[in-house]
Amino acid sequence: MSLEFAYYPGCAAKQIQREADWAARAVCQQLGIRLNDMPRASCCGAVSLRETKPAFAMAVAARILSEAEAMGRDLVTICNTCLQTLSQANYRLQNEPELLEKINAVLAEGGVRPYQGKIQVRHLLWVITEQVDPHLLRSKITRPLKGMRIASFLGCHSVRPVEIYAHSANEENTPHLDQLISIMGGVPVNYTGKDRCCGFHVMLSDKEEVHAMAAKNCLSAKDAGAQIMITPCTLCDMIMGSSQELAAKTVQRTIDLPEMNFAQLLGLAMGLTKSQLGISRLHVDPVPVLSKIGLA
Amino acid sequence: MSAQVYIFRIQRNMPGQVGTVQSHWQEYSVEAEPNTTILTLLEVIKGQQDGSLTFRQSCRSAICGSCAISISGRTRLACKTHVGAVARDGVVEIAPQKNQPILRDLAIDIRPFFARVHGIKPYLQEGPEKAGKVTSTAYDQVNHVTQCIMCACCYSECTMAEVNPDYIGPAALAKAFRFVSDPREGKKTERLRELSEPNGIWSCTRCTMCVDVCPKEVAPMEAIVKLRTRGLDKGYGDSAAAKHALAFHEDIVKSGQLNEFTLMMRTLGIFGSMKETAMALHLAKKGKIPSPFPHSIQGVEELRKIYASLERTPVDVETKAKQAVPE
Repeated sequence: MSLEFAYYPGCAAKQIQREADWAARAVCQQLGIRLNDMPRASCCGAVSLRETKPAFAMAVAARILSEAEAMGRDLVTICNTCLQTLSQANYRLQNEPELLEKINAVLAEGGVRPYQGKIQVRHLLWVITEQVDPHLLRSKITRPLKGMRIASFLGCHSVRPVEIYAHSANEENTPHLDQLISIMGGVPVNYTGKDRCCGFHVMLSDKEEVHAMAAKNCLSAKDAGAQIMITPCTLCDMIMGSSQELAAKTVQRTIDLPEMNFAQLLGLAMGLTKSQLGISRLHVDPVPVLSKIGLA
Repeated sequence: MSAQVYIFRIQRNMPGQVGTVQSHWQEYSVEAEPNTTILTLLEVIKGQQDGSLTFRQSCRSAICGSCAISISGRTRLACKTHVGAVARDGVVEIAPQKNQPILRDLAIDIRPFFARVHGIKPYLQEGPEKAGKVTSTAYDQVNHVTQCIMCACCYSECTMAEVNPDYIGPAALAKAFRFVSDPREGKKTERLRELSEPNGIWSCTRCTMCVDVCPKEVAPMEAIVKLRTRGLDKGYGDSAAAKHALAFHEDIVKSGQLNEFTLMMRTLGIFGSMKETAMALHLAKKGKIPSPFPHSIQGVEELRKIYASLERTPVDVETKAKQAVPE
């Protein structure tokens, strides 16, 4: 079975968090997952666009879904907020025929192909843990993580609201990241901050609160024995990793918990090089931790 | 289904010196069918094993909101939660609600929560906006928020309340939406102005936690999203968070992509951005300065036409609450 998708990395992975995109492409190549670029796809608009221009937000999402549908592929992303925004729109467009009709009439004003509601929106993490042949996945783990204790930070928008994520009806048991950690030879760490919020969406307006959240959640992982944290989301990466030192300063604590995108750690476990995976772009240097298990 | 033994690991809290609480965990074992409610089992423990265990309860029917406590890490109504659904390897961990002062054991001081609800003036006011006609569809928008039973599950799990005790919180904002949407309300605009101030609608992180933990499908965050839309429509877009939100459609219409380079400037203004130089330099250390000129996507003119068409002929896409069904 060949896995082929319309690939929607999201704005962050195209700009500030580019390393997540490199890692996603690299691990997909290893696993035989074909990612087709979507040259016409715009920014999804996130929750913000749904607030400022609700109808435009729905049309923007439908236009993206329509492009994937025209490519004959389900859409796959590596940003939790893109996942939620597009899944929410897709859920409504697939379940509210009148809305679909209205939005297709709007798309027609722009000369856009109507959306027929036929595709699914997927996270790359789900594809890897649910759709890739488990034997193939295991066979690619050539540099196992040797019991490294890893905190999975789920990120709000890949687990909530449950209504739109039918397959993970019990959000408290969303197993994908922890499953992947076990497959890579690591040990998932249980900690209270796991399903909390990184605060990305209010990072500019409520900076101190965001730093307090990030610090609290990172420290709860660290206190539970985590050596490293991974997330499935480029926006969580930006806060939990790139802004971690700033958060630490705010709460006057040392955190020093290496954080990276799940695809980067998976790439390392597959024996891919650090430069392929953009490891040097991480703000909290993971090399000391990785070198303990011979990965750096 | 057959009975099995469950371990209840309960956080016991005793008031100590002024403002302090001494906590420890205590375990009780009870035998029950998996579909027994947590509330029933708390009563069994209190009645048969330890009369000192303190918790609140009243209606047993998920309508009074008294028995909201943290069960296996999530705040839920004890009367609506089956033990089999929340036990992990036969263990159920029980603690008081979060983000609220603890009185004793599982009972919290609910007054600060209600102070926030009262803060949004939960009653109709006379004012400059004349009462409109109440049509049969007038409540389609708010049916979901009128289901709220003030149990505070959402406030207990709110990720912003966790770090900002001044945040109004999801339940009170959902209640505010009910009054902003009421055709009889005289001060809708005034309410939107107040709600757009700090610690109001724009402080929500959009984490969606309140939507998932609400036992009555109130979906507070959806109410907050709608309040933001209505506030912006009235011109209350001066806060940094509102400006940030407004940047999205500007960028999508311009190039199809978010311009992360200018986003900070547009959100915080030139002086605000200068204060954030440390953040910019921090990102620059790792070469993380986005391009000031992101490539335009193909077909951006389609988005411009769609945008223009919607500005000419608005389309209503807001979710209409399901018909309110009395439980």
